[in-house]
Amino acid sequence: MTATQDRSAQTGQAQTGETRTLTLIQAVTEAMREELARDDRVVVFGEDVGARGGVFLATAGLQAEFGPRRVFDTPLSEASVVGAAVGMAVRGLRPIAEIQFADYMGPGFDQIISQAAKIRYRSGGQFTAPMIIRTPSGGGVKGGHHHSQSPESYFTHTPGLKVVMPSTPYDAKGLLKAAIRGEDPVIYFEPKRLYRAAKGEVPSHDYIVKIGEGAIRREGTDLTLVGYGGVMPDAERAAAALAAEGVSVEVIDLRSLVPWDRELVLSSVQKTGRAVLVSEAPRISNFMGEVAYVIQEQAFDSLLAPVGQVAGFDTPYPYVQDKVYLPGPNRITAACVKALNY
Amino acid sequence: MTTASQPTPSTELTSLSSSPIEPFSPEPLRWVAEDGRPVRELPVRYTPELLRELHHEMVRAREFDRKLVTLLRQGRTTFYAQSSGMEATQVGLARSIRVGHDWVWPYYRDHTLGLAMGVPMIDLISQCLGTNSDLCKGRQMPHHFGSASKNFVSISSSIASQVPPAAGNAMAQKYLGTDEITLCTFGDGATSEGDWHAGLNMAGAAKAPALFVCENNQWAISTNLAAQTASPNIHIKAKAYGMPGFYVDGNDIVAVMEVCGHAAEWVRAGNGPALVECLTYRVGSHSNADADAEKNYRTRDEVNSWLARDPIARIEGLLAHLGHPVDAEERANLISSVHRAVDADVLKAEATGQPDWRIMFEDVYADTPPHLREQAAFVRAEQEGQK
Repeated sequence: MTATQDRSAQTGQAQTGETRTLTLIQAVTEAMREELARDDRVVVFGEDVGARGGVFLATAGLQAEFGPRRVFDTPLSEASVVGAAVGMAVRGLRPIAEIQFADYMGPGFDQIISQAAKIRYRSGGQFTAPMIIRTPSGGGVKGGHHHSQSPESYFTHTPGLKVVMPSTPYDAKGLLKAAIRGEDPVIYFEPKRLYRAAKGEVPSHDYIVKIGEGAIRREGTDLTLVGYGGVMPDAERAAAALAAEGVSVEVIDLRSLVPWDRELVLSSVQKTGRAVLVSEAPRISNFMGEVAYVIQEQAFDSLLAPVGQVAGFDTPYPYVQDKVYLPGPNRITAACVKALNY
Repeated sequence: MTTASQPTPSTELTSLSSSPIEPFSPEPLRWVAEDGRPVRELPVRYTPELLRELHHEMVRAREFDRKLVTLLRQGRTTFYAQSSGMEATQVGLARSIRVGHDWVWPYYRDHTLGLAMGVPMIDLISQCLGTNSDLCKGRQMPHHFGSASKNFVSISSSIASQVPPAAGNAMAQKYLGTDEITLCTFGDGATSEGDWHAGLNMAGAAKAPALFVCENNQWAISTNLAAQTASPNIHIKAKAYGMPGFYVDGNDIVAVMEVCGHAAEWVRAGNGPALVECLTYRVGSHSNADADAEKNYRTRDEVNSWLARDPIARIEGLLAHLGHPVDAEERANLISSVHRAVDADVLKAEATGQPDWRIMFEDVYADTPPHLREQAAFVRAEQEGQK
């Protein structure tokens, strides 16, 4: 492995060397292009990923560059896409399977939880399925409930899977490369509303972002704000608004949910004494419930206020009212103020 | 992987037995050639009056498409999936069942089917605009309507997920001893999903009165039929599930009505389910999300070859052949009347306003549980604080 494990990703910034400004989706494409070129075991497939380049154009140009043997369309069947990825991975390929929207992981769910997640364990490590399932997730694009859901908690609940969700182009590329070079099945959620909205510096040199490491986006001393994926720009806006009021908020981007960076979150909460957790998935059985539990278990003595949580509501994702559904900066700010005034 | 050639209906007449409606025909069954000339004797019910009605409905559907694309461009709606080119299949299907009596589990490109079944145009428009007049209360993305008065179950985006429920709907009809049937439609891509196979298998085993219809428009977004399945067609898959499979020229509305009507009554008679494949073509893109279809995944020549088999031109040709041509003025009047009707319904729908935040917490459960009441109270306080 020639990549540098860029610890500077703690701040999401490249330290040295040449960089370019990319959007999040360009970073995803670039990661696949470089890995296809680096390792001929890598194959990319899914519905419409070939000539069309994917519905969001994440795979645009890859079939033209690497040919239909490496980058190809599949029949419209998520069970087939995921199940075939398991078989390819067991046989030695490095499959990157695209599920067109996270909302459509349902038909592939059994293959993910029964096959991909368990083959290493049930075979005593004799067989493994290192593979990636990439999928756009989250709301904010007027997609209604079949094109806006955040199903990550279903997968964090399944041992054997790694689950990641970047919010910056730097992390999108680094996490995808780490997933491709790793030895486990990785569910790689892409916050679709940031595909083109998130722009940032991406190094020209090869690098990875290690799965399991969070990043501090903003340092602070009064409160720890933890999020991931599509909510991160709003979390940073809330922190900036509070900074204008003289409140110092530390903003943490988890980047990886399984495994997640307990040490980073706990050390921050021990410093600030307050935590507010933000995600857009429905609240019941939200992954942040696990984060809250660990904070109260291991940093209880540091807490100056109950752990706050801002989440989506426990309703299917609505079309017309999607802006009300999503936790925007005002709702995040209010939760922080509540913790500060406790 | 997507370059394999497309299946095309033969332009030659197919020799058939005395009963033309036989399952598993090697070529799509047809009654009317592309130029409008009948290739079989037309059943007597196809009077000029009926054919004019059908023509009117097909033109209405096409102009509805045009107007909705304009609404998209104006930013008044955010998604639309045209059915231009598929009018004969969907209008013909509506005429093959007992509307309001039978049940329909449609797929997401079935607005023409809904219109032809008598779903009021304003209901479709309201759903596309997400206004207070939307029967589905602005929950789903545009173009996903439902109409309880027509037993037209709300459309879902998830491919083929309506097929097992349709089998269950038909099993209930059998259990309840009704003479209803269930019409379940889907595209060619849906036949690759596990749900499709599960649903057909279940309905077959239960001998349920389900009519499964594949609106084979040959493209699942950018994936063509040859990349979708190694089967030469869809209807032969019926064999595996113990039901007849019929193959129809889906751009010939007479053929659609004859074969689907026959299959529907065969199903209604208690013989079990049937599968019909209507071979047609989606002339436009999959949706506004891939308006660049010709640039990215299919050729202009292919589209043009199907424009030459246009279902509306075909019925106009048939009317002309029968001595009742549609003249230019009549067509122009028809088109402008549809445009005026759409414009009026858009204004009516928009005048009802958009549903407010309260709709978000309704219909999640029959009774709103405490945690949702708390979340609704939270938003109420938030909204009042913003005033």
